[in-house]
Amino acid sequence: MKQHLGRQSGVQNVEVNLIDGKVQITPKEDGHIDPLQLLKAVYDSGVSVAEMDVIARGKIVKDSSGSIALQIEPNQSFQLAPNDLSSGLESLAGSPTIVTVRGQFYKKAEGKKKKRDASVPLKLLILEVQKKE
Amino acid sequence: MNKKVALLILLGLIVAPVAQAQIKHIEMRVEGMT
Repeated sequence: MKQHLGRQSGVQNVEVNLIDGKVQITPKEDGHIDPLQLLKAVYDSGVSVAEMDVIARGKIVKDSSGSIALQIEPNQSFQLAPNDLSSGLESLAGSPTIVTVRGQFYKKAEGKKKKRDASVPLKLLILEVQKKE
Repeated sequence: MNKKVALLILLGLIVAPVAQAQIKHIEMRVEGMT
């Protein structure tokens, strides 16, 4: 799995802890990393993902459907799952403010065996707003 | 000349925050690893 993940574009370093099943991925400083591809790479290596958390910096934007999203790059943005924290960021949509957030892209439902549908775009559930600049 | 410098600074201020936007860290918990 470490090799699978290490081969993905934008990945600088992968640390795997066999005891607690935690995988830490450090992206390259200026690289483009795709969380969906990482999820796929893990499944391809024969293990299943129970949870995927991320720390990301970006701008809050409104997408074409009117939903708010975190824009990481001009061509990479993630819709925010609605919660109190994402509602609090809605006023920043379209502003130049850069926010740093800790969020969750994926959490396996209890007792669910089926893997997630890869055609469904990832939504970011914000767990913590760390910084606004 | 001064106008050009001011324009470059302005451009830098606009571009810099976007360039800093990125995914900084990813952590996964996996199951079924041997």
